Amino acid sequence: MSTHFFGLKERSFAYSHSLGRNEFSGTGFRNPVDIAVGGNDVVYVVNRGYEYRTDGVHISVVTMNEEYITEFGSYGAGPGQFVWPTSIALDSQGNVYLADEWLNRISVFNSDGEFTRSWPDGFEGGASNDDAGRMIAYGSGPDIPAGKSGSGDGELDRPAGITISKDGTMFVTDSRNHRIQKFTLDGKFLGKFGTFGSGPGQLNMPWGIALDKDGNVFVADWRNDRIQQFTADGEWVASFGQSGDGVGQFNRPNGVCVDDDGDIYVADWLNNRVQVLAPDGRFVTALKGDHVLSQWGKDKLNSNPDMIRQRALAYSHDPSYEKNFNHPCAVKIDGQGRLAVLDHFGGRIQVYAKSKDPVLV
Amino acid sequence: MADENIALMAHLLRRSGFGASRDEIEAKAALGYQQTLDDLLAPESQENIEEDLLFRYNPSYWQSAAIENNVQAWLYTMINTPRQLQEKMALFWHMIFCAGHSKIDSGYEMGVMISMFREHGMGNFRDLIYRLSTSPGMMYYLDNTESHQTALNENYGRELLELFSLGAGKDEELNYSEDDVKACARAFTGWNNAPAYPPFPYGRSPWEFRFDPADHDGGEKTFLGETGAWNGDDILDIICKQPATARFLARHLYNYFVADDVQIPAWRLTPPQDLDLIQAMEKTYFDSGYDITEMLRVLFNSEKFKSESVRFAKVKSPAEVVAGTLRMVEEHREIKLGLFQHSQEPKYMGMDLMNPPTVEGWHTGREWIDSGTLVERINYASELLGNTELPGVKGLINRLMSRGDSLSPETFVDGCLDLIGPITVDDGTRSELVAHAQKSGDLRHSSSSEQSDFTRRTGEMFQMIASTAEFQFE
Repeated sequence: MSTHFFGLKERSFAYSHSLGRNEFSGTGFRNPVDIAVGGNDVVYVVNRGYEYRTDGVHISVVTMNEEYITEFGSYGAGPGQFVWPTSIALDSQGNVYLADEWLNRISVFNSDGEFTRSWPDGFEGGASNDDAGRMIAYGSGPDIPAGKSGSGDGELDRPAGITISKDGTMFVTDSRNHRIQKFTLDGKFLGKFGTFGSGPGQLNMPWGIALDKDGNVFVADWRNDRIQQFTADGEWVASFGQSGDGVGQFNRPNGVCVDDDGDIYVADWLNNRVQVLAPDGRFVTALKGDHVLSQWGKDKLNSNPDMIRQRALAYSHDPSYEKNFNHPCAVKIDGQGRLAVLDHFGGRIQVYAKSKDPVLV
Repeated sequence: MADENIALMAHLLRRSGFGASRDEIEAKAALGYQQTLDDLLAPESQENIEEDLLFRYNPSYWQSAAIENNVQAWLYTMINTPRQLQEKMALFWHMIFCAGHSKIDSGYEMGVMISMFREHGMGNFRDLIYRLSTSPGMMYYLDNTESHQTALNENYGRELLELFSLGAGKDEELNYSEDDVKACARAFTGWNNAPAYPPFPYGRSPWEFRFDPADHDGGEKTFLGETGAWNGDDILDIICKQPATARFLARHLYNYFVADDVQIPAWRLTPPQDLDLIQAMEKTYFDSGYDITEMLRVLFNSEKFKSESVRFAKVKSPAEVVAGTLRMVEEHREIKLGLFQHSQEPKYMGMDLMNPPTVEGWHTGREWIDSGTLVERINYASELLGNTELPGVKGLINRLMSRGDSLSPETFVDGCLDLIGPITVDDGTRSELVAHAQKSGDLRHSSSSEQSDFTRRTGEMFQMIASTAEFQFE
């Protein structure tokens, strides 16, 4: 008897576990949009919340093993606050960088969540001064004006994705300027690449961004439905994918990451899947979600017997619904080489382990 | 005297949609009434809302259990969709096929229902009412999920006949009997929902309709004089071929688009205002095989609809006040923060969108207005129209300035009335507006201080016009 492989057989992906649940605070996430995984398996989760429930806007700090550590930040335009948080990244010291596409600024926190600075310099976002000259940090409501935007060097118009290289260079997808900008970690402009368009190296509202171990740049070219690869200097290398829901096609990809083998992972947002591409862009596989109840999920159900019953009936009717991704919006590789997939609707992270050995899935 | 083409186009855009900015009105007027109407009647020929951007900036809109997010997304669509008539029809059906969040308790299912009205509300009525009868939200709202072969619940069967299709009566006759209600309800037994995931831990799953043949009463039934082993499908076929259904739809469309009618329970004993137009729509209903768009084509091409007598004679619904004002002042024409507050305004004015008071819906016409809601309506519109920083208001002021280097108070008032409507106020109101304008004399705009004064006075005049009785009508 022969074994028929169709496709690449050097790696397999096995679902490991999930963490999180839908919750406005504490042991859960509400409309999470991005994650960063640091040392000691610490995970930072960016919660966007609702416009009318701004208490859901903060950063949760948990572990990959679903231990709650803390949460920090809040809704508003004052120092350390944010309105439309969209992306998060860590530097080699464990400092936390957060992009806010309403205030058009990057805020920086230390690893304990204490606010240290924001940039562009001198820009206070939507805050204003009262009659006594004190800065008013709007705490809630609809009155926060959009942060000043611009298209000049170092100016931002809805920063969507950020990532930081080993040498401390920050890359920002400057989405409405359809370009990538490079900064020092203090916000000094270093360079830019990309213009609006659909040709090689051109961009249309780029969102997620990641670096491989050699410093090459991978961009989720969101409205062009493709991934583009650049050198660290911004030279175009390759484009992968096109619009659609077939193999290697994308529907508004928003998250991208690359593992040490060079395999590329793409959160294929509106196709509700994560596609895995080989380093040369060939399709490897598509993950659709394999969720099993997280501990916090079990805790919630155990305090609600009616929900246990309701879920049991629903699970019998359609077990796939709860397993599947529902608008996956971020993919990250952790220190053990595991893939973490953030699912914004489900308020949860599904973790996969990659192996070159045969794995029972 | 306002340009008649502009006045007619403004009327068409107020009724067939949620109004428009002056720029849009003039562009459509240049296109012509017929072409504009053809475009409105073919929504698929118009651009659609960019949903990827909507979910990109408001991820909470996606499948949201929270009713607030769904209402917010709906208001955004009302304001921004180029498919204005399609959206107006979504609201039309929501006001007839009433289901509400107070019972359904899933904002997403209300959003799904509105989407169904949006996608199919201008199509075939037989198709639409089938979709309604297989809507899991409606099945739950009207207790059909509790109606079984062995334990009948007549709620959906009754409301399907009374409020969703035939109406209680026509030309003083009753349209159906209690036996018909029972037969109808029996035919819909087994029309149920599949189990759905709870809201926690990971969010509700979308509800699914599921027919259960074992729970269906397959026995013989007599419905509206026809006897057979009817299922729900058969009942819908029988309903759709009734003259009463054609009358019901024609009268609802007339009440919504042309002129306020008496409240629905009075329809059996009160004849329609314009029987000729109603009968023309009834004929089209049958000739076209129940096509709603063709009925609308008859309505919007009628002389009655175009006549000056029906303009500014219909009380705006709260949704029309809010969406119409935002469109006029060109606010929230892009995705940005702050829409939530606006989305709550219809509720303060007596129209809790996605949550009508009962299955009978809202009482419309002059019943929209009481002392409390009138204050809300005036304050809301005057605050926006008085905000001279908003692009639409700025545009109106620039247009007014372009009418001359110096405007007399009379010319100024007439210009403001023209640009906001064109709206005609009674002589007493106009005199008061002119008297107010005369206090500060002619308006000029050659220097920056004059421009500033011109802008301030125009914003103030817009606010005063928003406070007139006439502004409450469309």
